[in-house]
Amino acid sequence: MPVRVLENTAPSQVSAANSGQSSLQFCSLLGVGQAFSGTQNVSSLQKDEAWRVNVRIQGCDLEHGYLCGTMEALNVPMADTPVVTFWEGEIVDTKNYTFFTGKWEATPEDDIRHWTKFPSFSPLLGQVEVDGGKSLDLSNYPYIFMRWKEQYFVNVGTDCGLTIAGFYYVCFSCSDGSISGFYYDPNSSPFQKLELKSTNDGRSGFSFSSYELQ
Amino acid sequence: MYLIKEPLSPSSAISLSSIVGCGTRSFFHSPPSTLHELPPPPSLSPPTTTATSATMPTSSAATLSSDPILDRLSSDDSEIKLIAIREVKNHIIGNRTKKLFYIKLGAVPAVAAALADSDSNSDSDFNLIVQSVAALGSFACGVDAGVSAVLEAGAFPHLIGLLSSSNDKVVDAAARSLRMIYQSKLAPKYDFFQRDNIEFLLSLLRSENENLTGLGAGIVIHSCETSAEQNILCYTGALEKLTTLLSGSLSQRDSSLESLAAIIKNNPEAICKFVDLHSGRALSSITELMKDRYPRTRLLACMCLICVKNSSSSYLQDIGIKTKLVNILLELLDDSGQVGDEASFAFSSLIAEKEDLQKLAFDANAIDKFHSVLQKHPLHPKRLEGVFLALADLCSKLECCRSSFLSSQVLNLVVDALTHDDASVRTAACICLRSVSRSIKNLSAGRFMSERIVFLLVRLLSDLSTSVQVASLGAISNIVVDFLPHKSTFMQSGGVKELVQLTKAMDSSLRVNAVRALRNMLFQTDKMCKEVIFVELTASSMASLICDPEPSVQEQALALVRNFVDGCVYSVEYAFAEDGIILDAVGRQLRKSPTVEVGIQGLYALSNIASGNEFHKDAVMQLLFPQAENRSQSFFNQFLQSNDNHLRTAAIWVIINLTFPESPGAFGRIVNLRSFGIVSQIKKMFNDSCMDVKFRARFALAQIITFGDS
Repeated sequence: MPVRVLENTAPSQVSAANSGQSSLQFCSLLGVGQAFSGTQNVSSLQKDEAWRVNVRIQGCDLEHGYLCGTMEALNVPMADTPVVTFWEGEIVDTKNYTFFTGKWEATPEDDIRHWTKFPSFSPLLGQVEVDGGKSLDLSNYPYIFMRWKEQYFVNVGTDCGLTIAGFYYVCFSCSDGSISGFYYDPNSSPFQKLELKSTNDGRSGFSFSSYELQ
Repeated sequence: MYLIKEPLSPSSAISLSSIVGCGTRSFFHSPPSTLHELPPPPSLSPPTTTATSATMPTSSAATLSSDPILDRLSSDDSEIKLIAIREVKNHIIGNRTKKLFYIKLGAVPAVAAALADSDSNSDSDFNLIVQSVAALGSFACGVDAGVSAVLEAGAFPHLIGLLSSSNDKVVDAAARSLRMIYQSKLAPKYDFFQRDNIEFLLSLLRSENENLTGLGAGIVIHSCETSAEQNILCYTGALEKLTTLLSGSLSQRDSSLESLAAIIKNNPEAICKFVDLHSGRALSSITELMKDRYPRTRLLACMCLICVKNSSSSYLQDIGIKTKLVNILLELLDDSGQVGDEASFAFSSLIAEKEDLQKLAFDANAIDKFHSVLQKHPLHPKRLEGVFLALADLCSKLECCRSSFLSSQVLNLVVDALTHDDASVRTAACICLRSVSRSIKNLSAGRFMSERIVFLLVRLLSDLSTSVQVASLGAISNIVVDFLPHKSTFMQSGGVKELVQLTKAMDSSLRVNAVRALRNMLFQTDKMCKEVIFVELTASSMASLICDPEPSVQEQALALVRNFVDGCVYSVEYAFAEDGIILDAVGRQLRKSPTVEVGIQGLYALSNIASGNEFHKDAVMQLLFPQAENRSQSFFNQFLQSNDNHLRTAAIWVIINLTFPESPGAFGRIVNLRSFGIVSQIKKMFNDSCMDVKFRARFALAQIITFGDS
């Protein structure tokens, strides 16, 4: 059934098409090799703290709604070196993945509670509450929603004092390449905010490398 | 040992007394056979045949004629000759070593000469004919050297001629021998486009003699390759006739299935006709044969159904039949003979490029099944090759398959096979490694960058077989993408030198794969690694590769330059080595109206250079927009106006970097870009249909407008 996004403020790019099955468009700022840096706010009632974070995209497969890369936390308390993790992302394209996580201890209520933290999500809320957004066509939407799940520690052991049990709700802006996210883990501080911006390694412009798997 | 099953001909069981005694008479009084219905056989002669009956025996026989058996085979006494032929025939049946021995001795021309000298209308020559025909067939069975010898001895036209004999036994023997010959790739190609030939083939298929229908099917299996050949067999009744054999004997069923597959493979038109035959009963019969008690019949039925399924999206698409095909083929892997060997190849053709079938196979525990097959020792090279290729197809798309593969011990077995004696096995092992190393998660974890794997693969770069080299390059291309900057294991293996050598190969498949491997190695690598590759490759070689005659090599070479000049700003200098020979080559290639892929890589290379300092930006500016050029016809506009989204995006990134506001020379470059009509073109892209292009165009305009809008 065709579904119309109800809000009048909905950006024109949100299609009410009945397909709901097209892959998202490629965005060069989210391609392999792209780097982002920023912070993750880990504040709680007891402390006010933020880690510096670098992210680099290592793989992107829009057909399968897949993205992966590494995340480096720089000034982690009690860690001698920066801590690097490898993460895999699910792109909410309504074909491979919807807004409902359906795993990692996240209920639809948890999902809605986190997604609504992103202002760009509000035009989609109505339909997502109905079917997780399955009938939405996001192929021209200027934001890409994702879940990033850290899979393993790259340079430290699991006894480093950090946990990767949770995952991030992520929103990427196709226009300026900025990323915001919220870490979700029922056993950690709620709504730890991730804020990243596209970086250019000190160049006077943007540089793009690439590889091609066989 | 790999034994091709060779049926004992009835005539081989005839006792000596029946040949030399009165028993022979009875053969000539047998009732007339259906052979009389056959039209005269067409003049079929193998292209390789130069000898005729008049010129036999050949020189090889002559030089060895001192051997007693050769003397007896060429004896003037027909009884001595007959006994000798029979003796040779009985020696060689099912014995490859003895076949090769007698072939080397020159026995085939001698037997062929005996056949040529015999009189097919003479009662006394009957046994000699049957025995020599059976001996020739036996030489040809499963041994290509035997087929060559029979063809070179000029026996082929005689065998064809004997199909018109009035004697059933002669016809049977000739048909059996010809079937043996047609099982070899060396058999002469049958020309279906000659009217006489197609009529002769149809008469074979119409016959009630099982050997003749089998020969007809064998000819189709051997010679039907092109769609034109498939169509002629469809529309002259051969397809229909072959389907009626599905209800025949075991042998008829099997040859029918195999020949039907040859006619319909990759031919939607033929499949349409086949599916409609007998109101769809032919297809139903084959579906039923998937459950036959004989493994070979089950395999051939599966192969036929895979042809139907792969060539059309209309038939056999339900999950039930797909699951059955997967399960039956996995079961057939348990067959220890030829069926088990072929099952994995059929499995590959079923799942290749099809994610849904790969998932079904994964759910059916296919990885575990292939793992258990690999644990049986020793395995025939054909079996190993098939299993590795099947695993490669299974792991080509789905991460769950790759994870399952890596969590078992299959990887070790595949790596062991990199040193196998058989080049096909080495190739298949490399292809399997290439497929499983598409897992970014495991690449990033350094799972494949081990000394053992890397050193063995690098050694294969100098393999004598080009297929092995290409397959090894494919695996290396993936494995070097380990997301680590130093690539120390690969550096230590000496692989860079080997890769650079292969970029100079005459074979373009080697060149393109070698350049791709180096390009991948340069992805996000450090200064030291870049330096080693640059010194080994040299700027002039890179410039030559950019201008390679093959567009695929050009594309990879430009992507290599793109990666070279990425990273720290210092890296941009590589493009300016040797008086800017690389940069000039990039510019020349972009002006040649390159393919979209070449254009994308070339533009990103320039974009990366333009993200450097003022000097770098000005060099790109001068390359793309020289002062002397006609400003109303800039070649760069073709990229901004391309229909390809990625090419337009790449072109805008170049402009974004040239107009980077913090650069001191940005204003001057913007003035120039305006004069070339670039700014007005970008304004037209403000609402581009591609979101990435639209946002980059807006970004570029925002930068330009900071210097004023005129």
